[in-house]
Amino acid sequence: MRFRALVTNANLLLRVVQSIDKLAKSAILKLTPEKLHIIVITDVDSGLQLWSDVAVNALFGDYRIESAHGNEIYLEFSIENLQRALRSAQGALRTTLKLTKKQGLPVLSLVIVNQSGTGRELTLSQDVPVRVLTPQQMDAIREPLVPDSQVHIMMPPLNSVRSIAERIKSMGDRVAVSANGEGEVTLRVSNDLVEITTFFRGLENLAYDTQPQDAGGVASPDRAPAEFYTAVVDMRNFLRFLQSYHVAPRNIVCCIIEHHALVFYVYIGSAGYSVGALNDQTTCGSLTYFIPVRQV
Amino acid sequence: MAGDDAAGAAPALFSARLNNIRPLVNMLRTIGFRPRATCAISSSGLVFTVEEAQSIVAQAYLRTDLFAAFSYNAALAREQSPDAGDEEPTTYVALPLDNLIECMMLFYGPSGSSGSSSSNTGGGIQSAALGGGGAADLRGASTAHIAFNGLGSDFELMLEERGVISVCRMATFLPEAAADLDFSRSPVVQQLIIRSEWLRDAFSELDPTSEAVGIAISSTAPYFRVSTMGDSGSTEMTYSKDERVLDSFFCSEEQENRYKLSLVLRCRLALALSDKTKIRINQRGFLSLQFMIPTDADVSFVNFLYAPLVHADELQQQQYQ
Repeated sequence: MRFRALVTNANLLLRVVQSIDKLAKSAILKLTPEKLHIIVITDVDSGLQLWSDVAVNALFGDYRIESAHGNEIYLEFSIENLQRALRSAQGALRTTLKLTKKQGLPVLSLVIVNQSGTGRELTLSQDVPVRVLTPQQMDAIREPLVPDSQVHIMMPPLNSVRSIAERIKSMGDRVAVSANGEGEVTLRVSNDLVEITTFFRGLENLAYDTQPQDAGGVASPDRAPAEFYTAVVDMRNFLRFLQSYHVAPRNIVCCIIEHHALVFYVYIGSAGYSVGALNDQTTCGSLTYFIPVRQV
Repeated sequence: MAGDDAAGAAPALFSARLNNIRPLVNMLRTIGFRPRATCAISSSGLVFTVEEAQSIVAQAYLRTDLFAAFSYNAALAREQSPDAGDEEPTTYVALPLDNLIECMMLFYGPSGSSGSSSSNTGGGIQSAALGGGGAADLRGASTAHIAFNGLGSDFELMLEERGVISVCRMATFLPEAAADLDFSRSPVVQQLIIRSEWLRDAFSELDPTSEAVGIAISSTAPYFRVSTMGDSGSTEMTYSKDERVLDSFFCSEEQENRYKLSLVLRCRLALALSDKTKIRINQRGFLSLQFMIPTDADVSFVNFLYAPLVHADELQQQQYQ
């Protein structure tokens, strides 16, 4: 198993890792010849999951990967450790990432070369201990299968949603997130004494292909555009998603699959998160947050 | 929930509008030390009352001119309580005050920044479309509508800021009988008005380990004395009758009374917001602190009323037993 690459966009890599910092202590890094995947699973059954991928050529140059399993490598790592290491690489002259062993244990080693005032090169090595996962272990980790969503809508600015959610979190342990085909999203929380509904309007719906119908099956009628689809999720999971950005990006797509899940997509452009259009040529990756609907 | 007002249905009992919710939030927070409050609605405005331990009653007076629009259907109120007699019709309702305040602060931004006074340009609603426009940081200067349709219906609060709307519905309850701390039943024997900053200084000197705070007013020096006796000793602050410090001084009976310190300190937020405080003590030793808080529409009042720990008369009676 071999992995070594020159880090050409340390800033983007850091920002991706920073996005997941608040979600959990550890995450899984799946490296393939084309993509780098980061996966965070907070609780297999009821928790939020994040599945993300970035094209390797947006992050690395001279990318070399080799393994007995389709040239894919699976690693578990501490988010805080990787984040700390990547921070030291910001603004460096040259940074290399490689999988190696230190004291008999596998580590992801970040070799950072800086130039001192006198022109000499200083080399710093930051090691992130990792646990190598077997293909069998990786196989057990599956991206959630979610039926086609019933509604796609662009979220309002995340910092507004977050500040409201933080104020309503004490009112209930679950939140109903609804959206319709007319640019409206609502959040509702309630308990014995109070019910709060917040309405966001003027949002952009995304067009999507109508679902293919099974031969002989009964197609569920689409609702009128003004009608809402709702997913009731754990307040904690919703807040975890909202808090996972330091700088709130604008282009977050919200998808609702009633009785099943709330899914958020963020598209990553090589310059950061503000992708002009979803089909923008500069899109090099995406983050997908799955929040399961609360089971009673 | 009950109480929805459809077009053409029976007229609402009470509704009001504010162009900026911050002054109302500040007033309610001064008495926000209890989860529940009683709200008295009349043509003069709203009075929110909280009470604790049968020893303290705090009231915030919100006159109609604090609101951009205020409408109370007195005729409907009379219908709802036909045995109210000739008194000015008033609707009493108990509601969750802590939830009401939290709901009003929904658009204040991240918790912890509620103290900031950065305000919107003007007071109007900015209906900028979200999701593509400028920074949509909510700042808390929301417009608000409140409405109530009588016992059995919810208390409704609708907030709007920068195109985002929140509707909050709160359960209401039958108001409980108020504690009998009727200040006006006994004549006022001592009164003074003091600049609140002096009283703030005095309060910050009080020893928190003391169970009681003593207030003594006399027509001879020292005219006004506030004292505590705690674990580490006693403190005493006295004030002269100087007009720069004390105003409208009146004393017909020398008295020293003691009040539970922890309850007295409940008024600190009201004290912090006020310019002046009127202190009155009646013959039974009950203490009334009236805080004059500057708002857009003249001065608003918050009252704190305290029962004394042991009244002088009772002390004398105990001596004879």
